[in-house]
Amino acid sequence: MTENFTYHSRKNVFYVILGIIFIVFFARLIQLQFLYSEKYGKMSAENAIRNVAVAPLRGYMYDRNGILVVDNRPAYNVTVTPVEFENKNLELLTEILKMEKEEVLERIEKGKKYNRFSPVKIKRDVDFQTLSFVEEYSGQLKGIEYQFEPKRYYPTKAHGSHLVGYIKEITESQLQKLGDFYRQGDIIGASGLEAGYEKYLRGKKGFELITVDAEGKIIGNFNDGKSDIQPVEGDDLELTLDIKVQALAESLLSDKRGAVVAIDPNDGGIIALVSKPDFNPELLSGVTPFSVWQQLNTDPAKPLFNRATLTNYPPGSTFKMLLALAALQEGIIDENWRINCRGSFTFGNKVFKDMHVHGSTNVVEAIQRSCNVFFYQLMLKTGLPTWTKYGKQFGFGTPTGIDILEENSGLLPSEEYYNRRYGKGKWTQGYLVSLGIGQGELGVSPLQLAAYAMAMANEGKYYKPHIVDKIKEKESKKIIKVEPVMRQINLKNEVWKSVREGLYRAVNVAGGTGASARVPGINVAGKTGTAQNPHGKDHAWFIGFAPYENPKIAICVLVENVGYGGVFAAPIAGLCIEQFLYGEIIRNKLNQPKIILTKSETEQIRD
Amino acid sequence: MQNWFSENINLGILISTLLLVLIGLGSIYSATYDAGASDFFNRQLIWAGIGLAAMLIVMFIPFRTLQLISYPLYIFSILLLIAVLIFGKTVAGSKSWFGFGSFGLQPSEFVKVTCVLALATYLSDKKINLSRFKNLSVAVSIVLIPVALIIRQPDVGTAIIYVLMLIPVLYWAGASLTLMLIIISPAAAAVAALFGITPFLIVLATLLITFFVLKENKLISAIIFSITVLVGVSVQFIYGKLAPYQQKRIDAFLNPEADPLGSGYNVIQSKVAIGSGGVFGKGFLEGSQTQLNFIPAQWTDFIYCVPAEEFGFVGSILILILFAYILFRSINVASTAKSRFASLVTMGVVSIFTAHILINIGMVMGIMPVIGVPLPLLSYGGSFLLSSMLMVGLLLNMYINRKEY
Repeated sequence: MTENFTYHSRKNVFYVILGIIFIVFFARLIQLQFLYSEKYGKMSAENAIRNVAVAPLRGYMYDRNGILVVDNRPAYNVTVTPVEFENKNLELLTEILKMEKEEVLERIEKGKKYNRFSPVKIKRDVDFQTLSFVEEYSGQLKGIEYQFEPKRYYPTKAHGSHLVGYIKEITESQLQKLGDFYRQGDIIGASGLEAGYEKYLRGKKGFELITVDAEGKIIGNFNDGKSDIQPVEGDDLELTLDIKVQALAESLLSDKRGAVVAIDPNDGGIIALVSKPDFNPELLSGVTPFSVWQQLNTDPAKPLFNRATLTNYPPGSTFKMLLALAALQEGIIDENWRINCRGSFTFGNKVFKDMHVHGSTNVVEAIQRSCNVFFYQLMLKTGLPTWTKYGKQFGFGTPTGIDILEENSGLLPSEEYYNRRYGKGKWTQGYLVSLGIGQGELGVSPLQLAAYAMAMANEGKYYKPHIVDKIKEKESKKIIKVEPVMRQINLKNEVWKSVREGLYRAVNVAGGTGASARVPGINVAGKTGTAQNPHGKDHAWFIGFAPYENPKIAICVLVENVGYGGVFAAPIAGLCIEQFLYGEIIRNKLNQPKIILTKSETEQIRD
Repeated sequence: MQNWFSENINLGILISTLLLVLIGLGSIYSATYDAGASDFFNRQLIWAGIGLAAMLIVMFIPFRTLQLISYPLYIFSILLLIAVLIFGKTVAGSKSWFGFGSFGLQPSEFVKVTCVLALATYLSDKKINLSRFKNLSVAVSIVLIPVALIIRQPDVGTAIIYVLMLIPVLYWAGASLTLMLIIISPAAAAVAALFGITPFLIVLATLLITFFVLKENKLISAIIFSITVLVGVSVQFIYGKLAPYQQKRIDAFLNPEADPLGSGYNVIQSKVAIGSGGVFGKGFLEGSQTQLNFIPAQWTDFIYCVPAEEFGFVGSILILILFAYILFRSINVASTAKSRFASLVTMGVVSIFTAHILINIGMVMGIMPVIGVPLPLLSYGGSFLLSSMLMVGLLLNMYINRKEY
C-alpha cells in the first residue's frame, strides 16, 4: 500500500457524493411537498373518493285539471364498475342478465373510456328475479351492483305518445354534443315534451361521495355524507292538455290512421294532440328491447311519426275559408257576389268537378255547402299573390312554433315557388285553380289547421300553440307561467262575420256538410274537407270550433284514407268538443242517443 | 463513568438510529393499521428489541475478535447462501428465505455484515496492494461470490447493494483513480446508453474531462475510453435487437411513469402520497394514500412515503437529516480511525447504507428506477432490521476502537 495515501482527500469525495444525494432529495421534497402539493393533494382526494351519480326524479306532468299524466316509478339497473370487473365472471353475468356477451363487453368497454372507476349501466329496469340473482352472487361478482333509477309511468288511460314523447338512453353523438351534464347510460328526452323540456324535466343529478380503498372496496361515506350533493327533482310541467279529451280522441282513432289537434282559442293552449297509430310510451320509458324498436321502426303505419305536426297533406275544402277571407278583405268580392254552380267548371281545356249542382251561390252558402265551382272562380279572380299573402298570415308554410320539437313547415306555394318549380312563364293560372279548394301543391299539418280554426274562432288572434302552461321549478320553488304569444290578423269585422256564418251554417243548417259534428246544446261551427291523394282513399278532414258564440275550443281532425270528412272526421270533432265543454259525453244520457240527420243532410255531407 | 461514556459512545449515531427505528415502527403501525396494532407492527417491535440487544453486543465485541472471526463467518455465510438456494422458501418469486414456521430469516441480509468484515480484514493487511491484479481479484471475489449466489435466488436489488458497497470500499482502501475509472465508466456508459444517445455522450465527455484533469496516461485513457464506447454501443445494439415487450419492460424500469398501471403505479401513488402530505402532513393515521392501501406493501420498500404523507415535509426532512448525520459522522470516524480495519468496516457500512437510501428514497420520490430495496432501520422486515442494527453496532464498535491500531 502506498504510504502517501491519506483518507483526507478521499473523505471529501464521499462528502461531495453524499452531499449531492441529500441535496437532490431535499430539492425533490421541496418540489413535491411545496410546489406541487396542491396538485398531489387533489390527486390523492380523487384517488380515494368516488363519485356515484344519483339520478334525480324526472319532473311530473299534470293536465289542465291537475290530473297527473306522467309519473315516475322505481326501477333498478344493473351496473358494472369496469376497473373491478373480472372476465371470469362474464359467463355468469350474461346468464343472469340474459344478455349477449358482446353487448355486455361493449358496454363495459365504453364505460372504461369514460371513467373506469365509475359504474356503467349494463342493463336497465331489470326484473325482481334478476335483482335477487345479482344480490345472491354479490360475493362472487366483483364490481357488479344494482342501482335505483326512476322509470316513467303513465297513470291515465291516454297514451299521449307524441305529445309527451318518450325518453331513451343518450347516444354517443349526443354525449359529445351535450357535454358535461350527461354520462354514458343516462336517460334523455327523445321526442315530444320530454325532449322539448328536457332542460327542465331532467333535474339535477346528485352525487354521493364514497371513500374507496385501492381495490375499489367501499369503505364508507366520505365525510359522513355531509359533502354529498343531493339530487334535485326535475321541474314539473302543468299542461294545457285535457287528458280526458286526449284519451277520448285516442280511442276514437284507435283503429285508424290520423290525428286530432284541439286548441284553446283564448290562449293557444293545446287541449289534445293525438297521432294514430301510436305506441305505448311505457315500452320506451326505460329500457327498450331491440325487438320493440324494430317493430316500431318497420311498421308501415309509422307509429313513431307524429301525424299531428309532421304530416304534409293538402287540406281539401277546409282551406276554402282562407280564399274567402282574402277575397272579402281585399274587396275583390262582397258577400253578395254570386256565381251559378252547374256542377263543374271548365278552364282552358280542363274540367274541374263539383260534388253537386249548387246553383246560385254566395260566399256564405259556398262555405256552408262546400261549393267547389265558387272557389275555382274566386281563386282565379283573387290570384296567387293575394292568396299566398293571406296563407302566410294564417301561419301556413312555416312552423307554428309549438313547444315540441317535431314540426313541419308544410308547403304554401307562391309565385316564386312555381317559378322555381316549373320555370318562369312556364306555368299557367290553370295550375292554381285547385288551390282554391285546398288541393294541388299544398301541404299542411293538422296543427296548422287547428291554429287556423282558432284564428277564425277568435277573429284573428293567432296564438302560438303551446302545451305547457306553467313550469313549477323545484329548486327555486318558483312557478313560471308561459305567457301566450299572440299575433293579430287584422281583417274587417264583416269579413270575419261572413266566414264564421258560413262555418256555422255548414254544421247547423240544412245543406251544410258538417252536420255530424253537432253537439247537443252547443252550437258548433266547422268545415269538412276531403282531400284526394294518390295513395288510396281520400283523407277526411274537419276543422271547427265551439261554442260558436264564445269559442272555447278549436279543433282539427284528420282521418287518413277513409273517405268523406263529413262522415269520418266531423263526428270525432263533435265528440271531442262535447267531452271538453261538458267534461263528459252527455249525448248517451239524453233521450236522443244519436244525432239523426235528415235524408237531405246525409246527401249533402259529401263535399 | 461520565467520561468513559462520552469518550467511547457515539451518542449522536446511537440516538439517530433509535429515532429512525421508532419512526419506522410508527410508520409500520400506520401503514398496517386496522383498528389497532397489526401483526406486522408487533413482529417488527420484537425484531427491534432483538436488534437493539444485538447492536449493543456487537458494539462491545473486542476489536481483534472481530478480525479473527471474520473469515470463518464469511465462509459460513457462503454456505448459508448455498443452503438457502437448496432448502430455502420461495417468497414473492425469490428463494431467499429460511422458514421456521411463521418465522423467517433472510441470510443475504446477514451476509452483508460478514462480507464487509471479510473484505475489511483482507484489505487491511499491509501486504495487500490493489494495483496488483491478484490482490484486486481476491478483494473483488470476496464480494462477487455472494453476489453470484444472491442473483441465483434471484434478488437483483440486494446484489446491486453488494456491488455498490465494493466500489467505495476499494476506493477507500487506496485503489487508484485509474482503477476506479475502469470499473465505473463502462457501468455508467451502459446505464446511460439505455436512457439514450445524449446521456451516453455526456458520460463520454465527462470521462474525457476526467482524463484531462487527472493527467491520466494517454494509452490507459484510450483503452478505458474504447471499452466504455464499446459497452455503450453494445448496450444500444442489444436493446435494438430486443422484442418490443422486452424493450417496454426496460423503458418502464427506467421511466416508471410510462407504465402507470404496471411498475409505474406504485411510484405514482407514492409521489401522490408524498406530495399530498404538503408541509405539515395529514396527521398520524390520517394519510388517505396510506390508510386506504393505495401503495401495495407500503410497509416494506415504500415505507418512506408513510411519514412523508402523514407528517409532510417536516417528517420527511427529519428522516433525511438523521440518515445524513449518521453517514457524515461515520465518514468522519473512518477518516480519523487509527486502524485500517476500523476505517474500512465503517466505510463498508456507510456504503451499504448510502446505497440503500439512494435507491430506496430515490425510487419512492420517483427519481430512480424501481428496484426493490428496503430502507435501513425503517422498512418492515426482521432480518433486514436486525442486520441494519448489527451494522450500526459495528459503526459504534469502530468508534470505541477508533484509537486502536
